[in-house]
Amino acid sequence: MTASAADRSIFAGYHPIINYVFFGYAVLVPILFMHPVLLAISFASAFSWFVYLNRGRGLKFGLGLVVPLMVIAALFNPAFNHEGATILFYMNDNPITLESVIYGICAAVMIGGVILWFACYNAVMTSDKFIYLFGRMVPAMSLVISMALRFIPRYRAQAGRIASARRGIGFDVSSGKFLRRVRSGGEILSVMVTWALENAIETSDSMRSRGYGLSGRTAYSVYRFDSRDRAMLVAMLALMAAVATALAAEVVSVMFFPLFTVSGTSPFGMAAFACHAAVCVIPLALDVREDVVWRMSLK
Amino acid sequence: MTIFEINNLGFAYPERAVPALDGVSVEIRSGEFLVICGKSGCGKSTLLRHLKTVLTPFGERSGDIVFDGRPLASVEQREQAARIGFVLQSPDNQIVTDKVWHELAFGLESLGEKTPVIRRRVAEMASFFGIQEWYGKSVSELSGGQKQILALASVMAMQPDVLILDEPTSQLDPIAAEDFIETLKKINDEIGTTIILSEHRLEGALPRADRAVAMASGRVICQGSSSEVGRALRAAADPMLSAMPTPMRVYLALESEGENGSESEREGAPEGGGNKDAHVPETVREGRVYLTEKLQDGAGGGQNGSGGREASDHPDAGEGSGRSVAGQDTDGERPARAKGEESITLKEVWFRYERSGNDIVKDLSLTLRAGELACVVGGNGSGKTTMLGVITGENRHYRGKVRVLGLDPKKAKGTRLSDAGLVALPQNPQTLFTRNTVLSNLIDVAAAHAENPSDHESVEREVRRVAELTDTVGLLGFHPYDISGGEQQRAGLAMALLARPKLLLLDEPTKGMDSFFKEKFSVMLRQLCADGLGVLMVSHDVEFCAKHADRCMLFFNGGVVSEGAPRAFFSGNSFYTTAANRMSRGLIAEAITAEDVIEYVRDRARGAL
Repeated sequence: MTASAADRSIFAGYHPIINYVFFGYAVLVPILFMHPVLLAISFASAFSWFVYLNRGRGLKFGLGLVVPLMVIAALFNPAFNHEGATILFYMNDNPITLESVIYGICAAVMIGGVILWFACYNAVMTSDKFIYLFGRMVPAMSLVISMALRFIPRYRAQAGRIASARRGIGFDVSSGKFLRRVRSGGEILSVMVTWALENAIETSDSMRSRGYGLSGRTAYSVYRFDSRDRAMLVAMLALMAAVATALAAEVVSVMFFPLFTVSGTSPFGMAAFACHAAVCVIPLALDVREDVVWRMSLK
Repeated sequence: MTIFEINNLGFAYPERAVPALDGVSVEIRSGEFLVICGKSGCGKSTLLRHLKTVLTPFGERSGDIVFDGRPLASVEQREQAARIGFVLQSPDNQIVTDKVWHELAFGLESLGEKTPVIRRRVAEMASFFGIQEWYGKSVSELSGGQKQILALASVMAMQPDVLILDEPTSQLDPIAAEDFIETLKKINDEIGTTIILSEHRLEGALPRADRAVAMASGRVICQGSSSEVGRALRAAADPMLSAMPTPMRVYLALESEGENGSESEREGAPEGGGNKDAHVPETVREGRVYLTEKLQDGAGGGQNGSGGREASDHPDAGEGSGRSVAGQDTDGERPARAKGEESITLKEVWFRYERSGNDIVKDLSLTLRAGELACVVGGNGSGKTTMLGVITGENRHYRGKVRVLGLDPKKAKGTRLSDAGLVALPQNPQTLFTRNTVLSNLIDVAAAHAENPSDHESVEREVRRVAELTDTVGLLGFHPYDISGGEQQRAGLAMALLARPKLLLLDEPTKGMDSFFKEKFSVMLRQLCADGLGVLMVSHDVEFCAKHADRCMLFFNGGVVSEGAPRAFFSGNSFYTTAANRMSRGLIAEAITAEDVIEYVRDRARGAL
């Protein structure tokens, strides 16, 4: 959301691989395994980290937008989904079941959590990191994305400049008859294409002049995988593996229909919840700890 | 050691009868700083592009180019990419990636360098060019000057032996341009890289160069030290002389008179024009030394008879008070024009872009009268362009009073203001064109502003009239993107005039114009003002403003801090003024152009006898 959040967050300072492994886990686990405890932990951590990152604005977004959306989602499901064995009451001759109510609530928490994780991602991650990841997978892609990110804002700015220059000599795109406005907009669009092609010649000169097209191109990145990253990756993977084992062994499992059954109260299950919580809370814990340490050191 | 040897190079673009290059022979020594000058279209770019195979244009070629002892064509692409660095004109077009760090690494990535190597080289370059602070930024956040420095740094990261630059400052304002040239000098001095620079702004480049090559219509007309080139151009009375730094122009104008024997009293003067080996002053400092000596010696050049009178005059000059330029009454030559009615009235106007942002225009008061050419000068980011936006209504002021041609831009909806006669020419005239030929662009505007758009004949007559006025008749058939920057400026002006302006706003109109066309442009403007048009021009080009404006204003921190007729205005400023004024400060009162200085010294020479 803001560059300042990306600068402020300690978690964002870790290597992109760490960031992506974390976000991948945080988003996929709730979607794939809608266990209420996992969902609750996930949602709570996402909500608190998001508010921590964006302060008052984050709270407004969370309570004002995400929560109402969740309420709607929770109501939506039982109204249309009539599966489940436990009938609570009838609405317009349709049965409302306990199972679909529970499912609706879980789905809502899942959706809310995922939205908040994406909002955190947006606040913390920069295009550089995205490009880095893709550069790793498809080296040619990293340059293409980087160029696109350079040209899109440029073209937008140029279109604005053309419109304003045209206004200066009496052609106003935003007023006049509809047809004339459409024609005027079309003219700008067509000259934009010419402009882009014209400039591309110099851009391609500049690229070729700097050796673009020679064989053996490498992809440079500013990120270094340091010892801190290694330690974090090992810890994260260990915790995730524990959760995955519990899920695979069905120590932690959930079934909504026809009857709502949920497991995970065994010690192993509790340990799995603890591991999940430990993973989810990593970014928040890092950020809070850093702020505390920083404040202490100032004293 | 010779790094480049160009032997009798000739080149013609396909299907063009006139060759772009004709018998060009230049030898470029390793480690030298070479400036190639000449008006636009003289073949500078074509020549430079021949020095790197990937950039060489297609066409008919003769002669050969030797790079570091081998024919250039036989040098491998990889080696050329690394050893021959090339910086192009447009800062925006030559930057490829979205992030500063990525752009710096681009060339090294192409060469297939490993990450640790790239990291070190990029770090070195970032610190050499002072880029650390914006290292992590997006390119779109940088200013034009910063972008061009970035383009330079990303080429330098490949550690080239030669750096070739094709008019790199043509799209920068004078302050950024000066910084850029200074950086080149630093590279040349501290790294020893050979520099080949083509320029039309010679004020900054020539004093820093070891050697200059002057070109005209595809031929080298002279080469040598800048003094030699200056003399040669003077001897040939070449129009390129007007692109030379002011001190050189003054010196050459005054000293060559003796050489030509046109003023017989100078002949035989010991340090007069006769000395062909004397260094021609290039910088303001050298110019001042020269001028001081010149005035002390007496214009008679060693004629003892007049020496006494000089001495008695001199203390006055030292104080910078006494003499007035050539006996002219200050700005007497253009008095009456500022008497028209007010076309722009700004009174205590304030503007900011965002509610929580800073004020960009602060407490600004300004007026412009019909028939007046007023220039607003001032540093980068002082809010000049924003002010133009306030006048056109693009930027809505939140306090103060604005009247433009009797209307309040805030309330004038749609095209009301332009219907009333307000026309604004943007900084980049390219943004005006939407049609395939210059002619159809002109007709478009003319038809939109004609009383009877369906009367094709009168529309065409109007287009022809304006095309002749703006000297665009020869350009009508071309695509507006295929003509040079100066020509685009002319075509843009033609479009502006066809919009029937009563008030014309110009934003940096002289940017990218060479000094030859600037003269033409000024004549055009004067003609329009004489016909009652009010012109408000925002410019960095102090020399142009000093020469041609009726009134100049200094813009600082969002408002006009001082204003006056150019002569009083520029001689009142001590830093933000013309080179001629800085050179003659304290020696000649109120001289602001090279012509002023030349005329004064000549008049004195006559008076002294």
